[in-house]
Amino acid sequence: MPEGIYCNKQTVNTPEEVNKLLSDTSGNLYYQEMEVLDVDTDLLWKTIQNTCKSRTRTWLEICAHCGMCADSCFLYEVNGRNPKQVPAYKIQSTLGEIIKRKGQVDNAFMRHAMRVAWAECTCCNRCGMYCPHGIDTGIMFGYLRGLLYGQGFVPWELKIGAGMHRAYRAQMDVTDEEFVDTFEWMVEEYEEDYPGLTVPVDKEGADIMYTVNAREVKHYPEDLAEAAILFHLAGENWTVPSKGWEQTSLAMFAGDWAACKMQVESVYAAMERLTPKRMVGTECGHAHRATVIEGPYWAGRKDGQPPAPSIHYVEWLAEALNTGKLKIDPSKRIKEPVTLQDSCNYIRNHGLKKATRDIMAHIVEPGFFIEMAPNKEHNYCCGGGGGFNGIGKFRKERNIALIKKRDQILETGAKLVVAPCHNCWDAIRDLEEEYEIGIRWSFLKPLLIKMVVIPDHLKPKE
Amino acid sequence: MFKKILFATSATPASDHAARVAFNMSKEYNARLNIFHVLGVPSRGFSQVVVDVKTKEKVGVDEEYLFGVTEEIKAYYAKYLDKGLDHTIDVAVGFPAREILRQAKVAQPDLIILGGSTGDEEDSAYKKVSAGSTLQKVAKSAPCPVMAVNRPAASFWGGMSNILFGTDFSKTSDKAFDFAVKLAKAMDCELHVFHALDITGLQSGKLIDQDEIEQKIREALRKIRARYEPRLKELKSYSMDVWEGIPFIEIVKYARDKHADLIVMAHHSRRIPDEQDRLGGNVEQVIVRAGCPVLSVNK
Repeated sequence: MPEGIYCNKQTVNTPEEVNKLLSDTSGNLYYQEMEVLDVDTDLLWKTIQNTCKSRTRTWLEICAHCGMCADSCFLYEVNGRNPKQVPAYKIQSTLGEIIKRKGQVDNAFMRHAMRVAWAECTCCNRCGMYCPHGIDTGIMFGYLRGLLYGQGFVPWELKIGAGMHRAYRAQMDVTDEEFVDTFEWMVEEYEEDYPGLTVPVDKEGADIMYTVNAREVKHYPEDLAEAAILFHLAGENWTVPSKGWEQTSLAMFAGDWAACKMQVESVYAAMERLTPKRMVGTECGHAHRATVIEGPYWAGRKDGQPPAPSIHYVEWLAEALNTGKLKIDPSKRIKEPVTLQDSCNYIRNHGLKKATRDIMAHIVEPGFFIEMAPNKEHNYCCGGGGGFNGIGKFRKERNIALIKKRDQILETGAKLVVAPCHNCWDAIRDLEEEYEIGIRWSFLKPLLIKMVVIPDHLKPKE
Repeated sequence: MFKKILFATSATPASDHAARVAFNMSKEYNARLNIFHVLGVPSRGFSQVVVDVKTKEKVGVDEEYLFGVTEEIKAYYAKYLDKGLDHTIDVAVGFPAREILRQAKVAQPDLIILGGSTGDEEDSAYKKVSAGSTLQKVAKSAPCPVMAVNRPAASFWGGMSNILFGTDFSKTSDKAFDFAVKLAKAMDCELHVFHALDITGLQSGKLIDQDEIEQKIREALRKIRARYEPRLKELKSYSMDVWEGIPFIEIVKYARDKHADLIVMAHHSRRIPDEQDRLGGNVEQVIVRAGCPVLSVNK
């Protein structure tokens, strides 16, 4: 059977198509069909010739097989130092092999490559920091994922995720109307406690355009209220777009390059329409990578920048605290051992380590913040990055991957982990569920809400 | 009095007392009953996996599964539903408190009835750092009064004869009072207005003499008279009392003393609930302890 009903090379573009794929519970039929899915080797080789640029070819060529990347990879370490988990081996035996064979690979090889690309690499890019040649295997795995996606060899959940972006311009089935409606509902719920709280929708020329993660809308809408409250208390002139509000990109995890472009262009269109001074994204790591770091290139922007200067939530928060726009009540600071998860996507890959540490200095009583070791740009992936968290087929592997973070947290002795990234937050939540080490975890917003000083003129009258 | 009732249930024995009240009330007042069940908490990042609250199993939720759960609820409440009650059943995925509020926003009920705690909120499936208990969050933000039935409501067989209204003289209490009066009128009940003088602050060492306590009790009684008596006169019978002690304990004791079938109290709108102060407020403590349903009004 060349193409399956569920598993095939077609993209998923409409809500109906998404639902059809969803109706195959856990992707059981999808994976069965994948076992006999044809590889279009001509297309594969053609795609490589068109898209595999000199950087990747050079990296594959100059790798000295020195093995320095081995110890940098947490998956190598937690999987019994299996040589097959050495980053150089992982990429050479998959992408390297496909190129060497000029795309002449079979179904079994592609399924193996899928496993390596999604269950043996989280695209955390840590190995790239330790390679003497500066070879970044994570970047190459991102590329390999694109090749695999084009051939239909992609985990079920990510095919759905990419389809959601195509159908809804959001990672979940949340429509533009539902987004605005939910945001307004949440603000309504809290306006008694915070008189004057509003959510300005589609306001042109605001200082801040705020973008979110669809999961906040779907499952934790309090997050939206908290964002509104903190902007309100800081006296910001902010807005949300009614279209182009989703900052994340499961399409990036899936390797669906065209959907990546569609998604990020919807956010850029909002920036161009509303001309905000800046965009602030929510506490999400990969969303920042997708929209701020890689997005401009997907959208073909020559300057490599989004249409408006775009910052991560931690940058806005650090600035608000450093400039006194938001003030912390010292008596309400965190007074227990607390540690901080550095998200690969904006700490290692975008250098924001100072912002998060500035925040910790404001919200934690001196002496209670304990760094993980290693930390900052050297920190390890949470264990669930790059889409790993959501893939049922690789659950077992993902749970093993959590061991590194578990041990790092245990070493700090902290019972509270601040995780300003959706993926890290999920992984740490799952880690507690799996290993029960007795920790709590939190985004920054709910912590801030509890300790921020409410200016007199914004207090409820009663 | 009640045209639409939203009954949020775990569809387990933990909600049985509430179910009895919900079904009886719907029948009594010809109210349309919306039985609502949040079947599980989304898990695994963006995946489709949900941890089923009943079985604790990780399941892939699809239409078939939702249908199965709906059928189970139907079977669980068959003895009530067989009698031709006007009802609908809805099933959702998400964090219970949020989904109950979302349902209330759509269904616009006159009353939400909440089942008792499933007792497993410490279960990791429910863990979310900013979350208080389902009850606390729903009571805080609901667009209508919320009734919680935690312990068997022995006398609540459709009829009511005694309603207790507990006040702390706040604005929200005034709203709760309006509702209590309306209810007492509609149900032809006796309304007992009660205030508990909080003397717990005195445990820290300072002892006030009984004269001072009694002075305060007299003041509170005067306040009750001034604030509520004009409206109370619209009722056939009512009473007013002030006792001193730990407020929630006094309310529960007073309810027992008056054979109250229902306690009405205000739920104070507070900022986003803290995990530490869940079940911290008076209303929550009364709910846990009272031998009758407790109705909280927040706006």
